[in-house]
Amino acid sequence: MLKIEHLRKNYDSFSLDCSLEIMQGCVTGLIGQNGAGKSTTFKAILGLISIDGGTISILGKDSQEFGAKDKQNLGVVLSDSGFSGYLTINDIIPVLDHLYGNFDKPFFVEQVQRFQLPRHKKIKEFSTGMKAKLKVLAAISHDAKLLILDEPTAGLDVIARDELLEMLREFMEKDEERSILISSHISSDLETLCDDLYMIHNGKIIMHEDTDVLLSDYALIKVDHKQYENMDKQYILRYKKESYGYSCLTNQKPYYMENYPQIAIEKGNIDEVITMMIRGKEL
Amino acid sequence: MIGLLIKDFKLMQAQKNFFICIFAIAIVMAMFIEDSSFIVGFMTFIGLMFTLSTISYDEFDNGNAFMFSLPITRKDYIVEKYGFGLVVGGGSWLLATMISVVVEVMKNSDFSLDTIMSALTMLPVMLIILAVLLPFQLKFGGEKAKVAIIGAFGVVFIIGIIIVKIANLLNIDLISFFNNLPVISVGMLIVLAVGIPIILLLLSAKISLSVMNKKEF
Repeated sequence: MLKIEHLRKNYDSFSLDCSLEIMQGCVTGLIGQNGAGKSTTFKAILGLISIDGGTISILGKDSQEFGAKDKQNLGVVLSDSGFSGYLTINDIIPVLDHLYGNFDKPFFVEQVQRFQLPRHKKIKEFSTGMKAKLKVLAAISHDAKLLILDEPTAGLDVIARDELLEMLREFMEKDEERSILISSHISSDLETLCDDLYMIHNGKIIMHEDTDVLLSDYALIKVDHKQYENMDKQYILRYKKESYGYSCLTNQKPYYMENYPQIAIEKGNIDEVITMMIRGKEL
Repeated sequence: MIGLLIKDFKLMQAQKNFFICIFAIAIVMAMFIEDSSFIVGFMTFIGLMFTLSTISYDEFDNGNAFMFSLPITRKDYIVEKYGFGLVVGGGSWLLATMISVVVEVMKNSDFSLDTIMSALTMLPVMLIILAVLLPFQLKFGGEKAKVAIIGAFGVVFIIGIIIVKIANLLNIDLISFFNNLPVISVGMLIVLAVGIPIILLLLSAKISLSVMNKKEF
């Protein structure tokens, strides 16, 4: 669906070199800190910025040849951009209807009612949650094959976030060939939604893993100095000095559980894995 | 592209009170001033200015990034803006001309051909203004465009002064030079009045497109 190979973009104080792939029928997450390069990657995919090198292939086409007609197959949410705030939902319905050949107006109107979005109010007067729901709704209402969602849940409360993720799940259930690329700060969103995850840091992909594997095989090992010295470190990805000794990140939890039953092993979650991958040291 | 046009007309609709005010002012002015060509210029200019405003609306809150992820190309956007400018500018021109004629008929129970002629002379001027302003607005955006336009007029003015100075130094009498220019026929004048704005508009659209193609959102 989407393949990026060594996408490069250089700014004065930042340079991006990113490769990733989104498979058909999958939800792929992109996680990273603010300024890690998530939005730059999204903008490059969408042709909003020029690129300094590498290739991007979207739905089987090179991004340079990806035209207006091809964009009908994309649904896009950008974190820092949306419809003009001076328009109302009633205003944007005919706009979307003319832009997208497959715009499903009855579905869109039904969902607007379901989420109680005001149709006559200017979008700039909407709450953060309303704006976010409208953006996602516009992205999923025209039978897109690939959704590109940059921080769709940013700034939302738990309820609104749940509703939004539910919208995305329903979107995926309707057609098995659909795919989603989504970025988020909130790891629980990604844990429940994504099939695989890419982690980006300082413009580079530092990890790619299936979510299931990440949750089952990644673990934090907490050891004192002596245990650390005697431990087999071949499956330790990162380590960090702590007051009690060391905390270590592994992607082979069963190995350490079997061989070192006496040491403390904590099940990994995405937040801890991110923190260790970024803050921890490599052996 | 039709979607973009609808968007701009919806933005215009959101400002309907402003346009009703302008319409009312134009009618009042038409009743009280002798030279109705001013109203035609005034209203047409407001129409053109709104086209520039829609570009500011598009840029507001980084809206362009999302807009260009919709199924449109940068070329579609340029074609739409020039199209919208022509429709809104032309529409306001037509409306203003009608107001002028109707008010004149009400005042004098007749109208002179001069009113229509002076309104018609506004058309090429309107097109040239559109051709000049749109690339500036696209390149520099709202506030900076105003400064850039003033700067550009300044540069033209300075070039004019330099030409006059050089002519003086070389003892060339510019006034008699212009007076001695061959008189052009009405037919030729019409060809120029239609041709020059069209050429300028096409050139302007080409510049705007290259400005847009270089933009990053």
